[in-house]
Amino acid sequence: MSAAVISYLISLLVYLGVNSIAAWALNLQFGVGGVMNFAFILYQAMGAYITAVLTLPKSTVIGDQTYILGLSWPWPLPLLGAAVAGGLLSLAVGSFALRPRRRDFQATVMLVVSIIAETLVVTQPHWFNGNQGLYGIPQPFAARLALDPNGYGWFFVGLTSVSALLVLLIVFRLTNSPWGRRLRAMRENADAIESLGTNSRAESLKVYVVGGALAAISGGILVEFIGAWSPAAWGTGETFIVFVAIIVGGLGNTFGAFMGALLVLGVFLELPTYLPQFASANTEQSLQAASIGVLILIFLWLRPQGIFPERRRKLADQVPGSTGAGSQADTITLATTRHNFTTGADGDASDALTVRDLAKEFGGVRAVDGVSFSLPVGKITGLIGPNGAGKSTALKLIAGAEKPDAGQILLDGKDMAGWPSYKVARLGLIRTFQHTSEFGRLTVLENLLTAGPAQPGDSIGGALLGKRHARKRQQELLGQAWTLLEEFQLTSHADLYAGQLSGGQRRLVEIMRALMAAPRILLLDEPLAGVNPTLRLVIEDHLKRLRDEGLTMLMVEHELGAVERVCDSVIVMAQGKVLASGGMVELRKNEEVISAYLVG
Amino acid sequence: MNQIILSLGFGLVTASILAMGAVGFTLQFGVTNLFNLAYGETMTVAAFVTYYTHVDMGWNFWLAMTAGAVGGMLLSYVIGRFIYMPFLHRGTSQFAMVMVTVAMSIILKNVMQIFSGATFYSFALGPEKPVHVLGMDFTPRQLAIMGIAVACMLGLHLLFRYTRMGKAMRATSDDSSLARSVGIPTTRIVGLAWMASGLLAGLAGIALAMDLGTFDTNFGSSFLLIIVAAAVFGSVGEPYGAMVGALVIGIASELAAIISPDLKNVVAFGLLVIVLLVRPQGLRSGRVQMRMDVAG
Amino acid sequence: MPISSADVGSGAALEIRGLSAGYSDVPTIIDIDLRVGPGEVVTVVGPNGAGKSTLLKALLGILRPMAGTVHLGDRDLTALRSDQICRLSVGYVPQVRDIFPRLTVIENLEMGGYTLPRSKVKERLDEVMEMFPQIHRFANRQGGHLSGGERKMVAVARAMMIRPALLVLDEPTAGLAPRPADELLRDHIGSLSRLGVSLLMVEQRAREAMSISDRAYVMASGRVLFEDRADVLLARPDIGDVFLGRSSWESV
Repeated sequence: MSAAVISYLISLLVYLGVNSIAAWALNLQFGVGGVMNFAFILYQAMGAYITAVLTLPKSTVIGDQTYILGLSWPWPLPLLGAAVAGGLLSLAVGSFALRPRRRDFQATVMLVVSIIAETLVVTQPHWFNGNQGLYGIPQPFAARLALDPNGYGWFFVGLTSVSALLVLLIVFRLTNSPWGRRLRAMRENADAIESLGTNSRAESLKVYVVGGALAAISGGILVEFIGAWSPAAWGTGETFIVFVAIIVGGLGNTFGAFMGALLVLGVFLELPTYLPQFASANTEQSLQAASIGVLILIFLWLRPQGIFPERRRKLADQVPGSTGAGSQADTITLATTRHNFTTGADGDASDALTVRDLAKEFGGVRAVDGVSFSLPVGKITGLIGPNGAGKSTALKLIAGAEKPDAGQILLDGKDMAGWPSYKVARLGLIRTFQHTSEFGRLTVLENLLTAGPAQPGDSIGGALLGKRHARKRQQELLGQAWTLLEEFQLTSHADLYAGQLSGGQRRLVEIMRALMAAPRILLLDEPLAGVNPTLRLVIEDHLKRLRDEGLTMLMVEHELGAVERVCDSVIVMAQGKVLASGGMVELRKNEEVISAYLVG
Repeated sequence: MNQIILSLGFGLVTASILAMGAVGFTLQFGVTNLFNLAYGETMTVAAFVTYYTHVDMGWNFWLAMTAGAVGGMLLSYVIGRFIYMPFLHRGTSQFAMVMVTVAMSIILKNVMQIFSGATFYSFALGPEKPVHVLGMDFTPRQLAIMGIAVACMLGLHLLFRYTRMGKAMRATSDDSSLARSVGIPTTRIVGLAWMASGLLAGLAGIALAMDLGTFDTNFGSSFLLIIVAAAVFGSVGEPYGAMVGALVIGIASELAAIISPDLKNVVAFGLLVIVLLVRPQGLRSGRVQMRMDVAG
Repeated sequence: MPISSADVGSGAALEIRGLSAGYSDVPTIIDIDLRVGPGEVVTVVGPNGAGKSTLLKALLGILRPMAGTVHLGDRDLTALRSDQICRLSVGYVPQVRDIFPRLTVIENLEMGGYTLPRSKVKERLDEVMEMFPQIHRFANRQGGHLSGGERKMVAVARAMMIRPALLVLDEPTAGLAPRPADELLRDHIGSLSRLGVSLLMVEQRAREAMSISDRAYVMASGRVLFEDRADVLLARPDIGDVFLGRSSWESV
């Protein structure tokens, strides 16, 4: 092979390495975490600039570059510095860009930031030498090794591979850890994961920062290879190319991201240069670009999930003793670990939770109008009433899904009114939703595992320590999850995507998930809706057993037969107020209650 | 003071162009809920059609402008009906739709580049003497732009308020399934919305090219985000809001240009970001809300 | 050819036989028989989860029935879709999203008459405003700025624009405070039957609704439990049990 061909091969490999790192970084943010980072190229650019600044020596040759630190740091320090810079920049941008709830608004803010940054750097020479950019960046160890160009080239390929493999390890461990699973759950349904104790904004910011740091590394390697960097290298269109790579390769799939990077590089960018030239260079380029656009459209139409779709994680065979040796686990001990409550000075020791004068108004209508009640410890309290009575709203206020306009919610002597749902959940108050909110593209077992507390792999640090670190606890949780699945006869569905189950089955998954969170108080919002009668009785049985083990529950339900069978006492609401409370039998004879149901 | 009044004048011209662009963009969004990032390309196409018919084929400029606007209208309809609709009907995710529009934008831009190259074009309309109005200087061309913009806004207002079709468009934009259940042919209405949106984009593109003097294949997409800023500021999906947004952003950015010409875009974008962060519903009062699923 | 009330005399007869429907493979409602005679007011009541909404959706072509038939006069509606059904002189007032919030009241009514020949729209508009004279007070207000009761009135008026033979209402008093709910039922909806329109109404406020109805059906757990004249049903001594869960199909 001629030297020119080898040189070409070397640069292809380096670009493959760089693009893979970029693809993995964006895939972590968007594919796994669901954050539409339209400012991606900004972080790669930041990495390139900082690497350049940390590597450039004090020199009088490059005269018009006015601010060089002259640090001349050796590899890999500039790359680490780049990662830190990328992370800090992501932190700064993410803390406001991730504020809007809508993902497309977040994306638009990021896009605008990217454009403003580009405009600023182009027009301000003080910012990394403006439009001229930085150049003359020395390659790592080049002077020391004194190899011929291709010889050095292979060395650089080696350095790039080492970096890429390191990034791969990081991304792999993060994605396939309990933390990665939590990110995916957040991507599916942010409200649901918050009801299980996750602060989704904080987690989004974390994945944004990690992705930003990794993107910066890719920029650093690029600038060390090319030796120069200017705004021409990082237009907003470059972000699009990385998105194409991960969409084509397969969102959420680490291998897919690599293949996507390879495909984009090979098919989209390099292959067209081999096509016969039949028009001017500019026309050629435009034709290529237009063809890429057409290919993207065709791809999005025919295979939107990518060539390598996100893998379904099968966990059933990891369940201890699941291969038929009938689980020895006796009645569920999930919820019993913490059912002691402290009460404030004026609280009744037998009450787990007290609600006082709770009020909430929606558009002029008082949905909850001065409601007060208490939930006795270790009992199931029913909350019934006709449509529009305010029952669901009351439950949501307690769970932190809505902020009350007035009133107190007392738990452990503290007033939780107005707390966000994840904070409430962390105190042991877990709720289920009126409209099923399972994590559709996680398997049933994964759904249950996301709720399990105290998982060592559930933070960035823990995730990086690898699977072995998280294994023991995961096995415990799998065992508990399996027992629940057996109770509710869903073991055969353990490894199916939760979104593929029927409505009633999804409701079961949600209930099981809530139980896995080791709640102290369980708030059930119409748990029996859409469940067939046989399974209803199974759920009712289960709830009674949990009550016998000391779990406190509040159940909003319309299925009044079930309420009678399951609840120890019942509160009737109508028109936003508490009408009466007591046992079902007396309530049925209560004129006011009957009237409320007839009048609505 | 003079500077300010002069900039105010520029601001009004910019606002006129922005108004047509932003209302067209918001019309599309309101009726289809699609964030069309290929919108800028429709503006560019219209400018090119006007160029070819006027400069290459020697048509009278007003005729050429009409041709350009019609070109924009047809392009918008065809893309909407035959590319976006099928994807939307399939239930394609919000993010994938954004990618579809970006892909469309790339295709259009590069196809235009194949035909026209990367050079700059000009309508070559010749120099004009400015007219003095209320302390501001306008060339007759700029007055024409403002006139066209006002005519468009007026026309739209009449359409929305007084014609059955315009009301049906607003109804579809409000609640398409209710619209369907009262018998409104929503598919046809959406097609009409695309046409109207394309017409406005075309006029905006031609006006922008007239105002800037020259244009190239990139100029539409580079103006896109400012148009989005105006639309979002006025509450995306609300045509009257977009008009207000255009006025505010047009004038604000020109006033900022007094301090530094680079600040023009930064101001527009800064406003966009602030709106998205602080008040994403834009100018909409938030009072117009259905009391759904309130209690129980 | 669309059926107008002129064709079939005063309202058409709605005949539902053996209707089963649901959202997945398990039916939510089973084997429903229901009839609304010409000019009759029929109310369907029952606890939540009884399947009342499902019944309406299956009737109106929003849900595809799994079994059974739906006839309006001698027209078979069973397999038709929602946009086809509206043209057959069936008016529908949904529970939520019942008017266009950003259109004015008059514009809402005009849209209600979209399928009418243009010359007739003004005429019908005047007729409908006669039926609900209070609309004059807020005719030019935006739909979203109306109170709950006003909005419902407009929704009903909108449905009346096509002079339907059958008017279907899904929980018209949902979300309304007692007084406007009362007004809506007694003054506005009740008066419609005098115009010869057949009414089928699903309601939570059973007592009020039945007091303006001719007949009523009580549903629970997807089936019809009781059917009788409204006044007879209301006078039953075990009415409390009916509504508070005792008489669900489990104990029957």
